[in-house]
Amino acid sequence: MSATLSNYLTITAIFILCTWAIYLPYRMGQLHFMMIANMVISAYLGALFSGAVVSGSQVQEAINLNLHWPFILTLILGVVVSGLLGYLISLAIGDAPCFAVVIVGFAFMYLTKAIAENTTALGRTFGMFRVPRIVEGLSNSQNRLFLVCVCFFFVLLVGFWIYRFDKSKLGRAASSVFVDRDLAVSLGINVKKMGSLLQTASSALGGLAGVLYLYTLRAISPSFITFHNVGLFMTMLFVGGYTTQWGPLLAVPILWGIPLIMPESLQVWKNVFYAVILIGILMLKPEGVITRPLLRRLNNLVFKRRLKPAGSGKNLS
Amino acid sequence: MNKNKKLILICVMLLVVSLSGWSRPSAETGVEEWQIPFLNILTGPIASIGGYLQWGAERAAEEINAAGGIAGKPVRIVSIDTGMEPAGGITEMSKLLDSALVVMGPVPEPVILAAVPLAAEEGLYSFTATTSYEYVADFYPWAISWFPPTTERLAPIISGWLNHIGASRVVQFVENYGVWAGMAKAHEQGVADAGATLLRQVDVSTDAVTFGPLAVNALQQNPDAIIFACNPQKIPSIINELKSRGWTRMSNLLIFSSGDAPELYSVGGSNINGAMIYNYVDPGLSSPRWDAFRAAYKAAYNGSEPPSLSPNYYDAVYMIKSAIEGAGITGDPSRLAAERILLRDYCNEIQNFEGIQFTWSNNHGYPKNKPLYLFEIQNGAKIKVLEIIPE
Repeated sequence: MSATLSNYLTITAIFILCTWAIYLPYRMGQLHFMMIANMVISAYLGALFSGAVVSGSQVQEAINLNLHWPFILTLILGVVVSGLLGYLISLAIGDAPCFAVVIVGFAFMYLTKAIAENTTALGRTFGMFRVPRIVEGLSNSQNRLFLVCVCFFFVLLVGFWIYRFDKSKLGRAASSVFVDRDLAVSLGINVKKMGSLLQTASSALGGLAGVLYLYTLRAISPSFITFHNVGLFMTMLFVGGYTTQWGPLLAVPILWGIPLIMPESLQVWKNVFYAVILIGILMLKPEGVITRPLLRRLNNLVFKRRLKPAGSGKNLS
Repeated sequence: MNKNKKLILICVMLLVVSLSGWSRPSAETGVEEWQIPFLNILTGPIASIGGYLQWGAERAAEEINAAGGIAGKPVRIVSIDTGMEPAGGITEMSKLLDSALVVMGPVPEPVILAAVPLAAEEGLYSFTATTSYEYVADFYPWAISWFPPTTERLAPIISGWLNHIGASRVVQFVENYGVWAGMAKAHEQGVADAGATLLRQVDVSTDAVTFGPLAVNALQQNPDAIIFACNPQKIPSIINELKSRGWTRMSNLLIFSSGDAPELYSVGGSNINGAMIYNYVDPGLSSPRWDAFRAAYKAAYNGSEPPSLSPNYYDAVYMIKSAIEGAGITGDPSRLAAERILLRDYCNEIQNFEGIQFTWSNNHGYPKNKPLYLFEIQNGAKIKVLEIIPE
């Protein structure tokens, strides 16, 4: 597999996970950007524990933990620590309104960035690099293929989990909070517990994406924490459709892929391209391309017509 | 929304998508045209630096093409924007792994540290012509460094300046951005070498907008010399605050090389007259190539002097030309791996390369005899005070 294709596929898979991490709390109306901070925290943890190094003039002052944890352990560590952080914060903001959650998310993003930029052991503004390959002993191309498989395995796993969640009582409860919080409370839904669950899941998902991102780039720096990435994930969620989990599956490969094949003269305009797409979608289809009614229509189209014999006139529904 | 509006929006989106669908020119080198991909920063916070790096590379390509090209074939610089994002750098680098003979860039160091390891593993030589040895030494022989280790090159100019002005108590303004903290460390070594006392560092935050408290922080330590290692736009403001609090010894202010940018002079004006600055380019040099370069740059940039890094990729393109012609590289895709090694080995050990400003030689991928200059600023012009050539 070529490096270009494997890079495209792995980053696509990781960005699907990232977009789902924003999608989950937004099921009950919270935009939780703390997942970006968690992504970076878990990536740094992975870098520290996998034996990555810092560079340049900081080498002499860096703390070398001399640990060489395998991928699976760093992955578990990243997910657990991120989930735990998300849970602790959710104790305070589990039932907070959307705006407050956004502010907390940004605060954590820039707190993480400031800590990373000023910590020599983390390589300050350069970050850490030379992260080991996911499996030592395999060639570069075999490693890339393996990483693609790992990333899509997690997309399937997380996707299945979100699918089950969406179809469950909890999923419907989250939807009711999104539509009318007071009504949800009157129905006996514990908004704080619901927020806590979704924020923790979002953070853990951010942690998972962070470690996968680390092993894809084999480097991490504070420069990942930018408004650009917030905007990118938001665009992917809102263009694809924020009411179902399928939106990101459609939007991420397209939005991440198209700028990669843009001619060089248009490269500098890629942010404008994202903006035009986002504005266009918000004007034409405010809920995004894939909506629940669309899924219902597709469902009817694919399944119910098969059940209904042509011309029978019998209503099977 | 009525149908017409919808139609217009759909047309706009189709236009964007169709433009995006244009096939990207292949980065493959071929015998018809030498394509040199340049992983640059054309958007983002330091896009202006990327702009003049690009300008230098394009100018070299124009000159080379006007003189008959490289081995008789024209050369084209393929500009690629990483947006200063490591992920963008890796993605763009990965597109070049199977086809490019050599890659210029990436820029700056955070992108270098992310993307060059990938290129090194795949045997693609990176022309990192803005960075110092310590940032690419790990990837030798697959990356070239344009400058020797930071401490090795900066410490002598700092001690030379301190001896020149006879100062003994130094305070430093440092902004923690990119390589600047590393440069500040090297300054400290120079202060120690000169036998001067280094006072407590004054940190300049990236989002600082008022500088009075920082000036007070520095002055209360009673320094007799000050070094600036921070954003060029902030330096004139800090100098202003220092002067308003009684600082008069302008030659005892030293601006580091990254401060040598157009905004230093446009914001500073005559207020920074007399301050010292060090960098790697002597604008006062007179040679036919440099004079033409300088005149063209001034014409392109509204009369501004060429900044310190502006000739780097100009020289890089000429060095690649020299390697292709000197090592007998054909550009035949079937010999790509072997010719990458030929080019790499040629450049890593190039001898007496005639750069636009001076002639230098490489040893293990980095130069040891590039000079460094100390200037006094007068109305936007730089008057040479010292020249340090490493032994």
